Amino acid sequence: MSSTSRREFLITGASALALSAAIFQSVQGWLGEARQYAGAGLKRPLDGPLTPPENPEIDPVAHALNRWTFGPGPGDYARVAALGVDAFLEEQLAPEKIDDGLCDRATARFSEAWWEPVGEAYEEDDETLSPILRRVALLRAVYSQRQLFEVMCEFWSDHFNIDPGKGDARYTKIADDQNVIRKHALGNFRGMLRASALSPAMLWYLDGRANVKRSPDEKPNENYARELMELHTLGVHGGYTQQDVMEVARCLTGWTVLAKKNDDFSGKLLSPFKDRGKVVFRKEVHDDGVKHVLGQEVSPGLGEGDLDRVIEIVAAHPSTTQFIATKLCVRFISDDAPPAAVAAVARAFADSQGDIKTTLRALFATPEFRSSAGAKFKRPFHFIVSALRATNAETDADRGVISYLERMGHVPFRFPTPDGYPARAQHWHATLLWRWKFALALAHNRIKGTRIERDGLPRLLGGDAALMATLLNRQPQADESDAFLKSGDGLALLLASPAFQCC
Amino acid sequence: MSPAINLSTNRDDRRTLVVVFLRGAADGLTLVAPIADDNYHKFRPRLAVKPKDAVRLDDVFGLHPNLRALEAAWKDGDLAIAHGCGGESDTRSHFEAQDLMEHGGMAAGGWIGRFLRTRGPAASPLSAVALAPTLPESLSGAPSAAAFESISEFVIGEPGKKTKSDDFERELKRLYAREQGPLGAAAVNTFEALRRIEAIDAKATPANGANYDEKDSFARGLRQVAQLIQADVGLDVASVDLGGWDSHFTQQTLIEPLMLRLANGLAAFRRDLGPRLATTTVVVMTEFGRRVAENSAFGTDHGRGGAMFVLGGGVKGGRVLGGWPGLKPEMLEGPGDLPVWNNYRDLLAPVLSRHGADAAGLARIFPEYALKPLALYS
Repeated sequence: MSSTSRREFLITGASALALSAAIFQSVQGWLGEARQYAGAGLKRPLDGPLTPPENPEIDPVAHALNRWTFGPGPGDYARVAALGVDAFLEEQLAPEKIDDGLCDRATARFSEAWWEPVGEAYEEDDETLSPILRRVALLRAVYSQRQLFEVMCEFWSDHFNIDPGKGDARYTKIADDQNVIRKHALGNFRGMLRASALSPAMLWYLDGRANVKRSPDEKPNENYARELMELHTLGVHGGYTQQDVMEVARCLTGWTVLAKKNDDFSGKLLSPFKDRGKVVFRKEVHDDGVKHVLGQEVSPGLGEGDLDRVIEIVAAHPSTTQFIATKLCVRFISDDAPPAAVAAVARAFADSQGDIKTTLRALFATPEFRSSAGAKFKRPFHFIVSALRATNAETDADRGVISYLERMGHVPFRFPTPDGYPARAQHWHATLLWRWKFALALAHNRIKGTRIERDGLPRLLGGDAALMATLLNRQPQADESDAFLKSGDGLALLLASPAFQCC
Repeated sequence: MSPAINLSTNRDDRRTLVVVFLRGAADGLTLVAPIADDNYHKFRPRLAVKPKDAVRLDDVFGLHPNLRALEAAWKDGDLAIAHGCGGESDTRSHFEAQDLMEHGGMAAGGWIGRFLRTRGPAASPLSAVALAPTLPESLSGAPSAAAFESISEFVIGEPGKKTKSDDFERELKRLYAREQGPLGAAAVNTFEALRRIEAIDAKATPANGANYDEKDSFARGLRQVAQLIQADVGLDVASVDLGGWDSHFTQQTLIEPLMLRLANGLAAFRRDLGPRLATTTVVVMTEFGRRVAENSAFGTDHGRGGAMFVLGGGVKGGRVLGGWPGLKPEMLEGPGDLPVWNNYRDLLAPVLSRHGADAAGLARIFPEYALKPLALYS
C-alpha cells in the first residue's frame, strides 16, 4: 500500500471484499509476528572456518574487525584473515554489493516504515515508531554484513542527532534515517548536509519549520542556523559569529514542513492524508534581501537558492574539514585525536570535496590508526552488540535487550540534545555495573527474547581456549585464562572483562 | 572532568533531589484547601474540606486532614507549598500535560535528564534512579539512569538468586585491578557502590523512629531512596510516582487513601533522613489541577492550576508561595478552572540552582522559557 494511505484506503475504497482482505493481511502479519517472536532462525550460520586469532596481541585483522564492525562473531577473523584487510575494507566500502539476507529477514516486519512515503508514518500510533526505530537499529547492528556502513550510520546519527520526542519528529525520524543518514552515510558529506537541512524531522527538531519572516519586524528563528554551524559543520570555535548565525537563519526562512495539524508556520495542509511531513518552500515568508555569510555575499532574490549557497559556504569551510576529520579520528582512533592523523584525514576530506569513502580510506591508512589497537572504550550500544555478535546470539532486539541500554543511557535515538551521544569514554565509565549484569544475563540466557547456545558455543569453536580467543579477538593473557577458569563462569567473565569493554 | 571521583569523599557536598509525581492530576483544592474562601464552599458544596477538619496552614489554607502527617514539616519550616501551578498545556489531556511537563516544554529529552547532563559524566552507577518499572520521561537523556523496584537489583547478577558467585566477583575485581587509567578508577567506584549497597540492612529499623508502611509501594520506594542516600552511593536524583489521582467519580474514596500514603510516606522519609534532609529536596508535582466546581458524580474534572510541594533543606517553608488571587468566578479559566499563575519551572528552577545548576545550565534545562524563579529559599 504505497500510493494510498491506509486510512484513505479504508475510507474511500472499502468494499467489503477489500476490507476483509486487509483484515486477513493484518491477521496474517500478526501471526507472522508471533512466529518470529521466538527469534527462530535469526542467527548467523557458522558455515565457514572458525579458527580464532593466534596472536597474543590484537593483530591488524583483529584491529580492523574491532573498529570497522560492531565486533566480530565466530568465523569473522578467519574470513577476513583469508580475504586480507585491504580487500575487507573495499568490500565494506561497497555495501550495496554485500548480500544482507539475514539482516533483511531480521528487519522484514518493520521495513515498510523505511520505504513508504513520509506522510504514511502519521497513520501510526505515536508510541509505535520509536520502538521500531531503535529495534531496527539494533537488529541491523547485530545482523548486517554491511558492518562499516552500519557503524557509519551510527556515527552520522549522532552527528545529525534528532530526538524523535519533539513534535512531528516522532513521525518523520524514520524518513530522516532512510533519506539522510542511510542514503549518504558512505556518500558525500555535502549531499548529506543538504538532505539533513531539508529533512522534515530536522526541521521539526531544530525549529527550522518555524523560521519564517511574516512581517518586516519578525526575527528569524536561529536554532537550526546555530547548530548547523556549531554541530554539523564548523564546530563551536570554527570562526562564525552571532551575525553569521542570524544571516544563515535569514537565508533559510521559508523552509517548512506540512504539519499534522494546520498551524501558523506550515500554512494550510492541502491533503491531510498525503501531504503531512512534506517539506515545502514558502516564498511569501522568505527573507529575500542580501545576506552575508562567513564573509561571502548571498545575492538578493535567490529565493530557495539561498539554501544551496549556505550549504556550499559552510560545507567547504576549512573549519568544517577540521571538525569532521577530528570527530572521525575520535571515533576510529582515540579520544584524543592525534593531530597528524587529523591533518591527513582533513586533507583527504577537502581534496575529495567531502567524499566519505575517500576520507575513511585515508583515516585507516594512517600510522596512528594502525597503532591504536584496543585503545577505544566501547560505548554501551557497541558493547551490547559486540557481545551479541561474539556469542552468535539470536535476539529480537526488543525490551529485554533495550532495558540494558536504557540503564546505561544509550538507547538509540533517545539523546535529547542536538550534539548526539557523547563519543568519549569518560561519559560512559559509570556504566560498568550494567555491562557486568548484561554479561551474566546473556551468558545464562536470562534476557527475554535473546538466546545463546551456552554449551554449544565452546564445543562448536573447539574448546575454551578457542572461545577465549574468539571473544577477546586475540590470545588470552595468562591472568585472563586464569580468571576464566577460577571464576566458575568463564563466558560471562570474558564479556565483563576490561578487554571486552575496549576495541 | 574526571569521572574517577572517589565515592567516599563526596558525602558533604552530595545533594539529592527526589521528584514525586502524582499521576492522574491531583486535586490541589483538596490537598491544600482555601478553607477561608466562601466561594470554595459554594463551588464544592459536598466535596470541600471543612474548616473544622482541616489542618490549618495560614489565614486562607488548610491541608486535608489526611495530610496531617505533613504538619510538623510545615511548622518546622521545611515545607513550602505553591498553588496555581502547572504548565502551558491547556488540552487537559493527562498524556500531553505529563509529557510536556516531564520534557520541560517542547524540548526533547526530560528536564531531569538535561539537568544531569549539565553536571557532566556520572561518577556513580547510581546517579539517577526511578523507583518504577520503566524510566519516566523526565529522566530521558540522563547519563546512566536506572529504573528498578528494589535496590536488591544492584548486585552483580540476578537479584535474590544465587547466580552471583564470590569467585566471579573476585576474578572480575582482579582483572580490573590491572587497569591503571580511568577504567580502573571507574571499576573501583562501582565495586565500592556495590559494597555500600550490600551493607544496607534491608531489615533494619529505619532511623529516628520513622515509620514506613511496608505494605505501601510508595512508602517502600521512599524508604529505599533514604537507604541509598544514607549509604552514600552517589545518588543525585530519584524519581518516585504515586498514581491514581484521576477522581472524576466519588473523589473522596479515591484520593483520601492516596493522601494518607503521600503524607505518611513523606513524613517517614523526613524523619528517617534526619540531618541528611539538609542536603535533600523533595518536589511533589502533578500534571494539572482539577475543575473548581465539583461534578454531579461527587468528583471533579480535569482542570488547570494545581498544587506543588517542596520539602527539604534550606527551604524557607511554612508558606504558601507565589500568591493566591482568590476563587472569584470571573477569574476562572475555560470551563471553570483555577488558572496557572505559577509555572512549574519557576518552582523547579530555584531547587535546581540549589542542586548545582547555574544560570546557563537552567537555560539549557528549560529552553524557550523566561524563568521567574519563586523565592523558595529566601
